[in-house]
Parts: sequence; structure tokens; C-alpha cells
Amino acid sequence: FIYVITAFNLAYPSTPWRFKLFCMPPNTTYDFLLPAGIPKNTSNLNGYYEPLLEAKFNSSGTYYSNLTSKTTFHCCIWSEENENCSVQADNIEGKAFVSTVNSLVFQQIGANWNIQCWMKEDLELFICYIEPLFNSSFKNYDLKVHLLYVLPEVLAESPLVPQKGSFQLVQCNCSAHKCCECHVSVPAAKLNCTLSMYLKITSGGVVFQSPLMSVQPITIVKPDPPLGLHMEITDSGDLKISWSSSTLVPFQLQYEVKYSENSTSMREADEIVSATSLLIDSVLPGSSYEVQVRGKRLDGPGIWSDWSNPLIFTTQDVIYFPPKILTSVGSNVSFHCIYKNGNKIVSSKNIVWWMNLAEKIPESQYNIVGDRVSKVTLPSLNATRLRGKFAYDAVYCCKEHECHHRYAELYVVDVNINILCETDGYLTKMTCRWSTKAIQSLAGSTLQLRYHRSSLYCSDVPSIHTTSEPKDCHLQRDGFYECIFQPIFLLSGYTMWIRINHSLGSLDSPPTCVVPDSMVKPLPPSSVKAEITAKIGLLKISWKKPIFPENNLQFQIRYGLNGKEIQWKMYEVYDAKSKSVSLPVPDLCAVYVAQVRCKRLDGLGYWSNWSTPAYTVVMDVKVPIKGPEFWRIIHEDSTKKERNVTLLWKPLMKNDSLCRVRRYVVKHHTARNGTWSEDVGNHTKFTFQWTEQTHTVTVLAVNSIGASFANFNLTLSWPMSKVNIVQSLNAYPLNSSCVILSWMLSLSDYNLIYFILEWKILNEDNEIKWRKIPSSVKRYYIHDHFIPIEKYQFSLYPIFMEGVGKPKIINSFTQDDIEKHQADAGLYVIVPIIISSLTLLLGALLILHQRMKKLFWDDVPNPKNCSWAQGLNFQKPETFEHLFIKHTESVTFGPLLLEPETISEDISVDTSWKNKDEKVQTALVPLLLATADLEKGSICINDQRNSASFSEAGSTKITCEDEGRRQPSVKYATLLCNSKSSAIDDEQGLINSSVSKCFSSKNSPSKDSLSNSSWEIETQTFFMLSDQHPNIISPHLTFSEELDKLLTLEGNFSEENNDEKSVYYLGVTSMKKESSVFLTDESGVLCPFPAHCLFTDIRILQDSCSHLVENNFNLGTSGQKTFVSYMPQFQTCSIQTQKIMENKMCDLT
Amino acid sequence: FYAEAAPIQKVQDDTKTLIKTIVTRINDISHTRSVSSRQRVTGLDFIPGLHPILSLSRMDQTLAIYQQILTSLPSGNVLQISNDLENLRDLLHLLASSNSCPFPRTRSLKTLEGLDDALEASL
Repeated sequence: FIYVITAFNLAYPSTPWRFKLFCMPPNTTYDFLLPAGIPKNTSNLNGYYEPLLEAKFNSSGTYYSNLTSKTTFHCCIWSEENENCSVQADNIEGKAFVSTVNSLVFQQIGANWNIQCWMKEDLELFICYIEPLFNSSFKNYDLKVHLLYVLPEVLAESPLVPQKGSFQLVQCNCSAHKCCECHVSVPAAKLNCTLSMYLKITSGGVVFQSPLMSVQPITIVKPDPPLGLHMEITDSGDLKISWSSSTLVPFQLQYEVKYSENSTSMREADEIVSATSLLIDSVLPGSSYEVQVRGKRLDGPGIWSDWSNPLIFTTQDVIYFPPKILTSVGSNVSFHCIYKNGNKIVSSKNIVWWMNLAEKIPESQYNIVGDRVSKVTLPSLNATRLRGKFAYDAVYCCKEHECHHRYAELYVVDVNINILCETDGYLTKMTCRWSTKAIQSLAGSTLQLRYHRSSLYCSDVPSIHTTSEPKDCHLQRDGFYECIFQPIFLLSGYTMWIRINHSLGSLDSPPTCVVPDSMVKPLPPSSVKAEITAKIGLLKISWKKPIFPENNLQFQIRYGLNGKEIQWKMYEVYDAKSKSVSLPVPDLCAVYVAQVRCKRLDGLGYWSNWSTPAYTVVMDVKVPIKGPEFWRIIHEDSTKKERNVTLLWKPLMKNDSLCRVRRYVVKHHTARNGTWSEDVGNHTKFTFQWTEQTHTVTVLAVNSIGASFANFNLTLSWPMSKVNIVQSLNAYPLNSSCVILSWMLSLSDYNLIYFILEWKILNEDNEIKWRKIPSSVKRYYIHDHFIPIEKYQFSLYPIFMEGVGKPKIINSFTQDDIEKHQADAGLYVIVPIIISSLTLLLGALLILHQRMKKLFWDDVPNPKNCSWAQGLNFQKPETFEHLFIKHTESVTFGPLLLEPETISEDISVDTSWKNKDEKVQTALVPLLLATADLEKGSICINDQRNSASFSEAGSTKITCEDEGRRQPSVKYATLLCNSKSSAIDDEQGLINSSVSKCFSSKNSPSKDSLSNSSWEIETQTFFMLSDQHPNIISPHLTFSEELDKLLTLEGNFSEENNDEKSVYYLGVTSMKKESSVFLTDESGVLCPFPAHCLFTDIRILQDSCSHLVENNFNLGTSGQKTFVSYMPQFQTCSIQTQKIMENKMCDLT
Repeated sequence: FYAEAAPIQKVQDDTKTLIKTIVTRINDISHTRSVSSRQRVTGLDFIPGLHPILSLSRMDQTLAIYQQILTSLPSGNVLQISNDLENLRDLLHLLASSNSCPFPRTRSLKTLEGLDDALEASL
């Protein structure tokens, strides 16, 4: 705004912001009303033309510098507003003169400048810009421009003409293009003052001086051109031009918007608005818009800013607005579209929307905005999946079935980023971590953590605060970003979120708020110690709480046996003040490892790390729980009457010794010597002499704490060692590592405490193994390594309160089916042994046989002394017939009693009957006849053969018959000893039957006529044969009817005896009824008898009859005495005794 | 403040805990410096002592002075304590306002203005 000084005509009227300075040669002289200090342009320089000026350039330079004789061009200011040069604004004449002359003359001969002055937008700098007009003929040499100004202190003084010395000189910067800029800084306080100034331009020795000008700086503020020019299409389809306003200018601005639309037709407009945006309605598809904006003070004087750079906005045939949307998951977005098909805009009603050209968006989501604009809304968006390079969804606006290839881009980003924070144990640092792994990162986007700190605590619903600070985060190797706050405000609420910045906009993740105090991960407890407490025996773990936090803490303890893989057990302590805990542990003598960690008791924050592990040291905790179990071995010295007892025990296990046994002490107690102890040291064996009747020993285990309380006693007692309560003991091997033992006990008055089972390899004393077994156990499994070929001895000792009882000892495994099945391997070893032993036995028998023969016949009565043997030639026996006949006649009957005599067990008499069959038969006939004849008399026939000569078995048969018998009964008993009885079972069966028959014959009378009991004859005949097929001729002195009876009668009496005792009584196997002579060809008896069975019977015979009766009861059970009969014998019993005997026999049956 | 969100009991507990924390921190620092307790340091009269009648506002003032002293100390370790004091003062304000007797925040007391000079002189 022109500030014209009129009052004193001092300041030259001018257009201060933009004007032209025209300077005239001196011949056209004007009187300038200059301030007092400035000399008047009094000098006259004639003929100052352009060539002259050039010629006198150098000389006049110095000349002009002298002010007194200065030659100054007359300059006038010509502004656009005032067409005429206003040299003499107040002089009408001059004005008229200038106006007529100026435009031509000045431009041709003068020196002209464009000058523009303004205040910058920041209101601090006053700028004058001087640009020479080169169309003038005047050349600029050595251009120097100075601006002289006065800024009076007080506003009121401004109209006064400044004094000469008050002008301040500012040198202007001139560039190579002769453009100069003069800067005058204006204090903010003097913006409203009047600035007086004039320009002095020195060029080529000529000084051009402008008239004095005055201006208020605030009135010539020129803003910067508006920035951020932007065009977009509004939802209603209008074009919105917007820009940003300057924040520096203290007053409101008006803007001038210049735009042109270039579509099918041109449209230009120029509008002045006060807002920072302008709407141009009905944007046209397929057009381009060019826009420029400038600004100026809205109310009051000012200068238009420069035009902003032109912005060109082109619309396509299909306009999407917005063309691209970046949004977060779950939000709703809308797209608008204007569709121009050819030259025609498609009606919004006909527009359909497609997603990725694959999925039609439902019409319910469409909205019609006016005739041209269609809108689609996409609700609750899911994150965009990457499809190749495309990180967006394409939204298409189509005309029914026709789609334009242009699309809108929709970027949906998952911004649910979780931020986890943790405060360190010193409460000085909070580390927040977050990862973008879970979300699809958008290309070209940057992530930033922003936070806002509230002074105390968090709000219930954290919200994104307008004022927030960014926080530097560093990507870690694990893909997490880590941001560290240090120092921290413990109780402040840090609201944090991640901002995703992208060219399309920025997105914020949902904010989270943390209070560092509630995110503390404490330091682990320190000074953690673990020990097993002495005497009590608990695992005690102690610790110290960390110095921070000061809140109450809870503790977690984990402990376990130290090893490669520790099985942890947990224990929790909720008492904040507790510093230790004692826990029961199963094994007191092991190394335990323990760790402690802590957390705030109120549950906030995190668990600390586990403390460094603490280990227990194994040391004695208590006295040993018990003394060792022990057993003894007794070494008897037969010469002396004393026994050495060696005690054996196994070293006490850790669990029992708690934890290390230092020594063992053996405590003795005897009736005579009382109690005394002996230190054994660390040995597990101790030998002492057992001299007294009863000796009690105890073994104590001693560790550093003391001696064991519960100890085992063992009483060694002479009398008790006779007590036997174990009836039977059986051992069954299961396999080579397990043997089952079972036993039977008999009742006893003694107090049984337990058993000791002892086993060892038979005949090897070196290794005795033993085990203590509770008294209630009846069966026991021994797990040991048993060698199958070895024989084992198992001993079961009953241990009474009073002492060790008599053991039951077995030397081998019990034969059992199980064993047979399972010990097949052993069979190959055992069978040869059995065979070889059998062979040996046979050999022994043979030898014995020879010996026996000698023995036998040595005692044969001398025939000369034997009544019945007189006259017999034993060396050459006659026929049996002869023999017997002779006897019956010559020999009187009498009992022949033999004294029992003990001889060896096995007796065998060999016979070879087969050779004698014929002979016997012939010999029998007279015998039978004879017996028939001698029915009334009792006959004892003793037939014997001299086997010494024949090496045949002598068969002995005794026939006892009583005269008074109505039913004479003959009993043949044959005992046959044959070791190979089992090989001829068929024959045995035969024999059995015959025997039973025989017995039945014997029994029949007793059954039939028990009352009269006329059993008088008892005959027992013993054949001792070792031949395989001994044939016994059993002559029967009975009649056929008697025989019939015999045959018909069946008795079972002898069955048991046959089986158990293997004593077979001979019967008749084959009898011929037709003939009166009963001949048995093959009636043989095989008797695999045990010797005692035989001898028992013999004894019966040899005892008196009464004795016999008694002993008959014991026939089946006892065979204590061993007798052998080596002679054929017979005897008669008195009738009474026979009867009794018979009764007893019947009773037995 | 989010005073409504915090029950008064929690505020009191937090105040106690925070005081303990600050005391522990100061003890920790003084341990590392190992200044003999027998030595008396004079010339620090500008540090206010314990006032017999302590009101919340008085406490706040004292704490403000402490805070300023701490921030003036050359050691960087005290910054955390200064923050803790700041929190403590916030808690005091919260307590006061919950008791319906809020007091203005001690921002620029004259004592504080004078304190800067005293601190500069003494340090």
C-alpha cells in the first residue's frame, strides 16, 4: 500500500512493493526534495549521454564519489498502478511533463530497474529485489546497490524526515545476473513502524539514487506460496482442491485459486476463497485439471504470494475415489465410483461391484450417491492375502457385465501386534518386545512404536493419545523388536501402540497399557543352600529374597535327586517372610539339588529365573536305622569240645546306615560272662569261640552319630539246636536263576522268629549264601545263579527266640514233573551217570553174589550134624523124588528155627530153571503124591539145591500142614529180588494175579470159618532169585475141589502190600484142572524188593508167633530191623497163634 | 491420573512399596560410595530436613527439592530415583485428591529457584 508523505513533501510517493525505477540524464533536471542531510542535486552535467558515460567511466567514478560535486541521475518511480513516472507527484506540471515524455524517453535513454520490496512471511526480514531492465541502452558495470533505511524507534516519529546520519546502510547481494537482493531485518516490535529508505545504485561510476520511500513493513507482508496442494474427489463426486495454510503468518489469508479443466471442453476459473480448499462440482471422468493457488492477507494491506506450482490432476474413464485404501483388519471401508463408458456416464443404478473380478459384491452393500456416483461398503475386512506381487485386493466397478480394467486397491493389514513388556529385577529398565511375524507386512511400510505415559496407572480402556512419543526399537535375531525404557516411572502407565506408516496412510495397532511395576521379573533368590538336617532328616532349603521388588513375594522350590535327568518335585511357599523350607525326602543319603524362584505374591509380573542350583552334601544324618542281618557258620572241632562261630553279615545299605557305617560292633551275652562288646571295624566277618551252652550275639552298626538301636540278635544254644520243626523241605528249580523252596512245619512250643535259608553248592564250603525269611512264609523264591550240573544243598534253619533250631537239609532238587520238563538239558548229563552207576551196582552185586555164596554155604549145616541131611550126598544130588521120599521117611518133623542174622542188603540167588524144567516136573510128582499121602500129618519140606555145585538158585518152599485141618491151606510165598523188575511188567501183572489168588486161598478159611479159625499152618517161603525168568514150581497138595475153591476165591488183600513193599506172594499161574497134578511151568515171581521188606517178613517168621502177631501190624509201615534169611526155612506155629495171626491179617484187610 | 481406576488401598500400598524401593536404592548407592557415617558434611543447609508437622503438600515440596537436588547431581544413577520421586509425588497428589484436599503442584517455588544457585555453588 502506498504511503505517500504529503505533509511535508519530504518522502517521494512511491509504489513500494513493485515498481520501476527510471533514471534520466542530467539535462532533464528536477528538483528533488531530499532530506536535509542529502545534498541537493545541484550540479549540472551536460551532454551526459550514454556513450559519454561509457567513455568517462573510470574518471568519473572518483568524481561521483565526491558528494559535493556529485552527478546524480534523476530517477523516478513508475509503478504499474501509476502509469506515469511519479517524479513530481506533487507537481502537476512535472507530472504532466513526465507523463508525456517518460514512457518513451526513459526507456530509450535512461537506466531502468524493476524493484520489488516486501516483508517475508516470518515477519522478520524485509527484502528488496532489484532487477535491471536490460532493454535499456545503459550498460551496467560494476553494479553496486545499497539500501539506506531508517527505522525510527517510536511510531510517532515516523512522519518526520530522518536525519542524514540516521540512515543505516545495507549492502545488497548481487548475483551474476545483476539481480540484487537487499535484506533488512525488522524486529517484531517495529513491524508497525514506518520504514524510510532509498536505494543507491552505483553502476559504471554513475550513481542512481532513488527517491526516498517510506513503508510500514506489516503492510507489505508477502506470504510464501501455499504448500501441499492436493486434489481429490469427494464422496459426492466433486473435485476438492485443498492446500495447507501457513502457520507463520499471524493473520488470516485469502487465496486465489486458478484452475482449468481440460476435458471435451475447456473450463477455466479464478476464485478467491478464504478457506484452504475449494470444491469444484461434478468432476468429469477422462479429464485433467490444473490448479494453482496463491495467498494474501485477508483483511488489510498485503502482497499476493507467488503462485504455487501447478498441480495437474487427471481423471480416468472410471474414477475410483479413493483409489486406494489402507485399513486395518475389522474395519469398514467404502469405495465410490464414476463410470464413463465412451462419452456417456453410466448411471449409478447400473453399476455393480466385483472383488478381484472373481467375486461379486452383494448388492445390499451398494449405495447410490447421486446419478453418477455409486458407493460400495465393505464391512469387517479380513487381512489381505498376498497373491504373488499383489498385496491388495482389487475392487472393480462394472457396468453390469462389462468391467473396465481399472480398479481400486484395497490394502487390509492385520495390525494386532502384541506388545509384551518386562521390567528387570532392579526396577530400572523395562523391555518391551513385539513381533510382526503374525501379521502380513506391507511393502513400503515402516513400523514404529509410539507411547504415551500417564503419570500414574493405566486407564481401563487404553486409547491412542494425540500426543505420543516414538520409541526406538531394534530388531533382534529372533525376529522380535525390542524397545528399552530406561529409566522408568514405576507406577506410570505406558500406553503403547505400533504405528504402521505407509504412503497410503498410517495405521495404529490396538494400544496396550502397562505399568512397569506390574511387569516385574524379579531377580532369582540368592544364597540358596540345601542340606539334609542332622537328626531330623529333612531336606532343608534356604534362600534370601532379592533386594527388589519390595513387594511380598511367593517362592517356588524345585528339588530332586542329582543326576543326568533330574526328576523335579515342586514345592510352593506363599509366605513372603519365610526364608527356608524343610521337606521330607525318601533317600537321606543321596545328593539332592534344589533351586528357588520367586514372583510377586499378588501374582503380578513374571516368575524369576531359577536360582543357581544348590547341592546337598552326603553326611551322617541319624544313627543307623538297624544293625546288619547276620548269620553264622559253625566250625566244629571234634577233638576239642568247642566250636568256632563265624558271623557273616552284609554291609549295611546307605538307606539303613544314614549314611556311612564307620564300624561294626559285636555284642556278646552269655549267662556266665554277662555282656561284652568287640569292635570289628569295617569288616563283615567275625569269628569267636562258642563255649557256653547259650551264647547271644548282636551286631551293631556305628556311624558318626552313634550306634544303631534296632539290631538283630542271634542266640546260639545247644539244646535248641536239636529242636526240629521243619517237616519237609522241597526245592524246585524254575530256571537257572530262580529256585522255589517250600516247606512244611510241625507244631512246636517254641517261639519261631524267622528262618534262615542257607544254600551252597554241595561239597563246596567256600560259598555259603543265606537269606533271612519271615516266619510266616511257607514258600520262598531264591534268585541266584544256579548251575544246572551242580548239586545244591539247601538248609532251612528255624530261628527261635531261644536259639537256632535244627535245620532241615536237602541236597538236591525235588524230582518233579516240572523239573523233568524243564531240565531236559540236564537229562543228557544225568542219564549217563545213572547208567554208569547202575552198571557199577550190577558189578557190585555180582561180586557180592560170589561173596555171599561163600558166606552162605560156609554156614550150611554140616550134613553130618544135620539130622535130615544125613545120608544125602549134596555133591551129587539125586532126583527130587528120591530126596523127598527119603526125607519123609527118615526125618521127623520139627521146627527149624534160624537165628536172625544181619548180613548185607542185597542177596541174589541165581537160578536157571529152564534147564531143570523136566527134572522138576518129574521130581514133583512123587512129592505131590507124598503130600497127599501125608495128609494127616504135618509135613515140612525143605527143598534146597546146592547151588554151589550147580550155580543155580536154590528154591525153598515150605509147606506147612496141620493134620487137624479140614481145609488144609498151603501158602507159597515167593520173594524174588530182581533189580530189573520194571522191565518185565507183564510178568508182574501175572504174578500179582496169582499172588492174589494165593492169598485168597489163604484167606478163604478165615472168611468162611472164622469162628473155629482153624488156620494152623502158616507157611512162608522165600525164594530169592535174581534170574530174569525164575520159574517156580509150586506143588500144591490140594485136591481139585480145593483148588477150585482157591481159584474162585478172590481176595484183594495183598494188593497194597504188593505195591508198596514189592513183596509178591507166589500163586499159581497156569493150572491144569484135568490132571491131578498141578504143574506150573511159568509161575515165576519177580520181586524188585527193597531189602527191608523181605527182611521184615523173615523176621515175622522167625519170631515167636505172638511176636508175629504184633509185628504184623507194622508190616506196612515200619521196617527197622534188617534180617536176612539165607536158608530155606519153615516153621509151624501153634494153632492159637496162627489163629490170632489170621485174625490180625483179616483185620488188616 | 487414572485415579478412579485405582482403589485407595492400592495407592497406599504402592506408596509404601515405592518408598521402600527408593530407600533401598539410596542405600544401595551409599553403599557403593561408602561414605563414612561418622563424617559430617556441612554446607548443605539448603537441603530441607524433616519437618515436624508434615502435610501432604509439605511433603510434596520437600520431595520436589529432593528431586531437584538429585537431578543436579552428576551421577547418572540417580535419574531412576528422581523418576521414583516423581511417581511418589504423583501418588501424594492422588492421595490428597482422594481425601478431597487437593493441593497445587509444586512447580516453581522460590526455594527451588534459589536452590539452583545453592546447588551450583556447592557442587
